[in-house]
Amino acid sequence: MTVVVRPRPLFVALGLLLALAIWLSLALGPVSLPLGDTVRAGLRLLGMPLSGDGLARAELILGQIRVPRTLLGLAVGGVLALSGVAMQGLFRNPLADPGLVGVSSGAALGAAFAIVGASLFGGWPAWLAPYVLSLSAFGGGLGVTWLVYRVGRRDGQTSVATMLLAGIALTALAGAAIGLFTYLADDATLRTLTFWNLGSLNGASYPRLWPLLLVTAAVAVWLPRRATALNALLLGESEARHLGFDIERIKRELVFCTALGVGAAVAAAGMIGFIGLVVPHLVRLLVGPDHRVLLPASLLAGAALLLLADLLARLLLAPAELPIGIVTALIGAPFFLFLLVRGRA
Amino acid sequence: MRPSARLAGLCAGLLFSHFLCAAEALPQRWVSAGGSLSEWVVRLGGQDRLVGVDTTSQHPQGLRELPSIGYQRQLSAEGILALHPDLLLGSEEMGPPPVLEQLQAAGVRIERLSARADLDALEANLLHIGEWLGDRPGAERAVADYRKALQQQADWVARARAQGESPKVLLVLGHAGSGPMAAGRDTVADWLIERAGGRNVATHTGFKALSGEALTALDPDVVIFADRSLEGDAARAALLEQNPALAATRAVHDGRLLSLDPTLLVGGLGPRLPDSLASLSAAFYPDQAPLPRPQP
Repeated sequence: MTVVVRPRPLFVALGLLLALAIWLSLALGPVSLPLGDTVRAGLRLLGMPLSGDGLARAELILGQIRVPRTLLGLAVGGVLALSGVAMQGLFRNPLADPGLVGVSSGAALGAAFAIVGASLFGGWPAWLAPYVLSLSAFGGGLGVTWLVYRVGRRDGQTSVATMLLAGIALTALAGAAIGLFTYLADDATLRTLTFWNLGSLNGASYPRLWPLLLVTAAVAVWLPRRATALNALLLGESEARHLGFDIERIKRELVFCTALGVGAAVAAAGMIGFIGLVVPHLVRLLVGPDHRVLLPASLLAGAALLLLADLLARLLLAPAELPIGIVTALIGAPFFLFLLVRGRA
Repeated sequence: MRPSARLAGLCAGLLFSHFLCAAEALPQRWVSAGGSLSEWVVRLGGQDRLVGVDTTSQHPQGLRELPSIGYQRQLSAEGILALHPDLLLGSEEMGPPPVLEQLQAAGVRIERLSARADLDALEANLLHIGEWLGDRPGAERAVADYRKALQQQADWVARARAQGESPKVLLVLGHAGSGPMAAGRDTVADWLIERAGGRNVATHTGFKALSGEALTALDPDVVIFADRSLEGDAARAALLEQNPALAATRAVHDGRLLSLDPTLLVGGLGPRLPDSLASLSAAFYPDQAPLPRPQP
């Protein structure tokens, strides 16, 4: 694979793209705020004593709606892209995505349980109700990934191939369980479930945001420290072992980071496809397979692309909004095809 | 004479300005999330107050031209704020909760009304809507008319049931005839069948897909079909074509296939309900003189 861009210009470009995405995400929305108001409201949120007409409204829309939404988009996009890199590195396969170890299907199962269970078991206790969907999705993702990892382990060794197959089998099994919940669901819960499966950054609020931001920060700090090990893994498992890396430990960490990161992202925003698959791909095409560059660059690119996709999701049908999973798949899938076709030529 | 005239003028002025103030305090820009609520707002004369509705508000036709705020459980805070509403009206199903909190913080008045299929809940809803429209007497009249129509309906059904056996009814909801889902217990459809004087032959809970054989085994006297994509005769033809097993039922044999607008099946008691019930009953009991329609 040839390197098209050198790392430094790439980081500058991605940094600018991300800054642009953040700015657009804060400045645009269905409510058209004058640019001046947005800037002044932003400064006021940062603690500057400004006042003016309509500033309270701008401050509210910026502070309570757009800022948490932008943070959510940054975290979800970044952590999904990072997990994608980790999975593609672990499986040494560019088609790998975070769903491969069962975290997505587990989370979907958890969500189906939470959404349909509410009507089956007569509702959740009031103090738990607002969080049960997120907790259940997170728990489901972690649980199924743990099972996949356990199945792949034998005699102190983790077989990546077995894990891959176990992931497929457990995904099918989770699919069956989700099907059962779908069958039991009534019309309204069914619709909620469908929408959850398409993801949305809608309704982001600070209390739901903090856990995800913490997890993302942890993953974003942790994974790049394993970049050289991932590079060694590219050569093959035994080669990496001979180079002196504790491969079992690396595998465990990669799976755990992915489960944690994707689980938290999915719990906060529902299922959002294609970011974890396409972004690492795209970045690898640009700078080559060196994980020391690939990991941070994917983090930036994933965050920027998800923010831009969200911008479309909330503007295209305003005042209604499109589930973001539709936008990411709509852009991601043709792009992926384009890469495939071009790569062959 | 003169001072009293002045006093009267003053009083009239005060009274007038009081009305003005009251009118000003009423919410002027409404967003409604909930099919039957929107329908009631229109029925009570509030169509020009509506500036946005959700995707379940399909009836009457004029509502489809308003900006759509999406599905009632997936509302978008900023999208709704862009419509500058004073009031967001919806049922318990409206959500998600964080979005409602954001809207409330932005000063939008949020009113949740009950979507239960229950007359007392409906009365409370209508009186509230009437008050916010500034026409409580109109709402009171609408409630009285509605109660009266349903009472007449109930009396008529009681008489009909005393004279003849109530028909076995199956209601199926389908999409261009295929994949019919039968309405079981705890559905608005079940409630409709019961109120119209029929007996629901499906005993499961909620809407479930039935196999052709199961359909035949139930052998309903009447089949009501609510089709989401076709209407009237086209829907009837599609239903028969896609489900040949139906041909073996008494309902098809006797030609008793009734069409129903599927929007009647969502969102509680709507304003069109009494009329639909009356026409269903008339079809259930063809021998009885139909209920005289109230003059609008």
